[in-house]
Amino acid sequence: MTDLSIVLRSLRVRAFSTSVVIALVAISAGLLLAILSLRTAGERAFERGTGNAHLLVSRDGSPLVSVLNGLFYANPPKAPIDAAKLAEIRGSFPWSMFVPMAVGDSYRSFPVVATVPDFFTKFEPVAGEPWVFAEGRPFERSFEIVLGSAVARETGLRMGAKLVVTHGSGKSREGADEHAHVHEEYEFTVVGILAPTGAPHDRALFSDLDSSWILHAHDRFEREGQHKTVTAADLTDEDRVVTGVLLRLPSRDGSAPPALVSQYDRMRRDGSITVAIPANEVQRLFDIVASIDVLFIAMAAATLLSSGVAILLSMVNSMHERRRQVAILRVLGASRGRIFWLVLTESTMVGLVGAAIGVALCAIVLFFVTTWMREAHGIVIAPELDARSAILVAMGTTALAALAGLVPSIQAYRTSVARNLRPIG
Amino acid sequence: MQASNESSSPPALEIDALAFRYPGGFELHLPRLHLAKGEEMLLVGRSGCGKSTLLQLIAGLLDPSSGAIRVGGTAIHALHGAARDRFRGRSIGMVFQTFHLLHGFSARENVLIALLMGELPKRDADARAESLLRSLGIERLDAPAEELSVGQQQRVAIARALACRPTLVLADEPTASLDPENALNAVRVLRDACRDEGAALLVVSHDPSLESHFARRERLESLRAPESSSSAAAARAGGAA
Repeated sequence: MTDLSIVLRSLRVRAFSTSVVIALVAISAGLLLAILSLRTAGERAFERGTGNAHLLVSRDGSPLVSVLNGLFYANPPKAPIDAAKLAEIRGSFPWSMFVPMAVGDSYRSFPVVATVPDFFTKFEPVAGEPWVFAEGRPFERSFEIVLGSAVARETGLRMGAKLVVTHGSGKSREGADEHAHVHEEYEFTVVGILAPTGAPHDRALFSDLDSSWILHAHDRFEREGQHKTVTAADLTDEDRVVTGVLLRLPSRDGSAPPALVSQYDRMRRDGSITVAIPANEVQRLFDIVASIDVLFIAMAAATLLSSGVAILLSMVNSMHERRRQVAILRVLGASRGRIFWLVLTESTMVGLVGAAIGVALCAIVLFFVTTWMREAHGIVIAPELDARSAILVAMGTTALAALAGLVPSIQAYRTSVARNLRPIG
Repeated sequence: MQASNESSSPPALEIDALAFRYPGGFELHLPRLHLAKGEEMLLVGRSGCGKSTLLQLIAGLLDPSSGAIRVGGTAIHALHGAARDRFRGRSIGMVFQTFHLLHGFSARENVLIALLMGELPKRDADARAESLLRSLGIERLDAPAEELSVGQQQRVAIARALACRPTLVLADEPTASLDPENALNAVRVLRDACRDEGAALLVVSHDPSLESHFARRERLESLRAPESSSSAAAARAGGAA
């Protein structure tokens, strides 16, 4: 027999009330932790998605929109950058990475990104984590296509499979693009399948720029009344447009180079293009979302607080039986201080056990949520719960439970032995 | 019962010129009550005459207005806070009419908790609890206390009171919850156990039928009296010594 075993037994004697309160504490602690963890995981997923590009140039309406369209494939950009402008940007600075992208075509609602081979060698979808090919290789000539991991999984397309793309965004999120049409005559061959990156690129297909331009040129000839199979030789500067350019400045250790700010400012003065620093735009997005975030966290914290009140109520409710027990222990030689700690330990124990179950509950739920997100949506969220949040929530819950136990502990401390040992039967 | 022959050891209980003022304006007076080491005594009085208050004063659960109470030579009211609680745990055992066993704890655990609170060495506790309970005829040591028969619960309560080898056992109406046959049995068990453990025993009861079992006994008219007539009460209670 120890003081702790007295506490545990006392909890077991009131097993039903104890379990209900522990369940309440566990659910609210788990909820708070889940919100904190998902927020952290969500931020990380977004931060990952910006990749290693220092700058993104487009002709979208705003830098935030250009990042959402160019790197997260929210919508196909509407306004193209023409060949002359592209050449001007290329020559304006000794870029260490210059990756033009043309987004607008699609395959079964997955965006098809037309780009250059450097996209696979110099651009990293997640900074510090270069592309890995699960199968095959990058495209080397026109009408070769590489699949993002989620595309391969969801469409079931294998190496060597043939596919035709939809010119226009197809089943875009805003509904069908009325100009969307399929180019049956231009067939792409799958030459590579990428490993998952956890970035939105997993949900895209990649081909070279000529392929995309040829589809555009085909439409141009059609409008002019010519029906022919277009080749690269037929392309003019009018066809050679892109929707965005990913840029990197030379930097030694991967950190933002000093020239970034001056290049950013220089290009921003050009009113015909939109320049964005992807990392900054993602941060701006978080700042917008943050206020809603705070609301969620406040709601979860309020739930936790109410579970603290539940601990207090359940212990105060059991005070009648407890007063007799306290009086007996006093007769047996327990001091007021010891009684105080026994009762305080009891409430703290409820908080501790509740917090532990809450953390476990949260880990299990997060595991299923992240598995489901990956399976159903191809979004890779780190499956483990945020350790710092877990410790913080567990400590906070336990402290709250101890605080809730103060009132019954003081009541127990002040319990009169003489008054509570009168015959009861 | 006779007083112990060991004249060197202090009496188990010494009460001198005790007065306690109730909140309601009554006073309790006891000029003198001495109990030698290992001695037994019965105080018989009708309910409400202040018997329970007297026991709580002796146990240090109430503070007297004046006078002295010494248990085994220690003035319990000179001790304060945890020190007094520790002294009570070690030196005084209490048996109640309704036993006041701890619910949800087994017979064994009820005794072990007394040993824990009395801060006796842990390594001896298990053996002590078991031998004490067995000597009192408890076989189901690990059954929840509330599942035992009334007679058995009484024995567990006695074992708990004796766990720390106290100087003095105070029994408050120990037979009031029992039928006459069991009541006599319980008194016998209580007396035997206290004698075996060398503890002095002070029983208070309203039941005159217990008188034949105690060599030293006293009838109490009342320890309580209105403040004005306190001297009269004192004179009556004085015979108890």
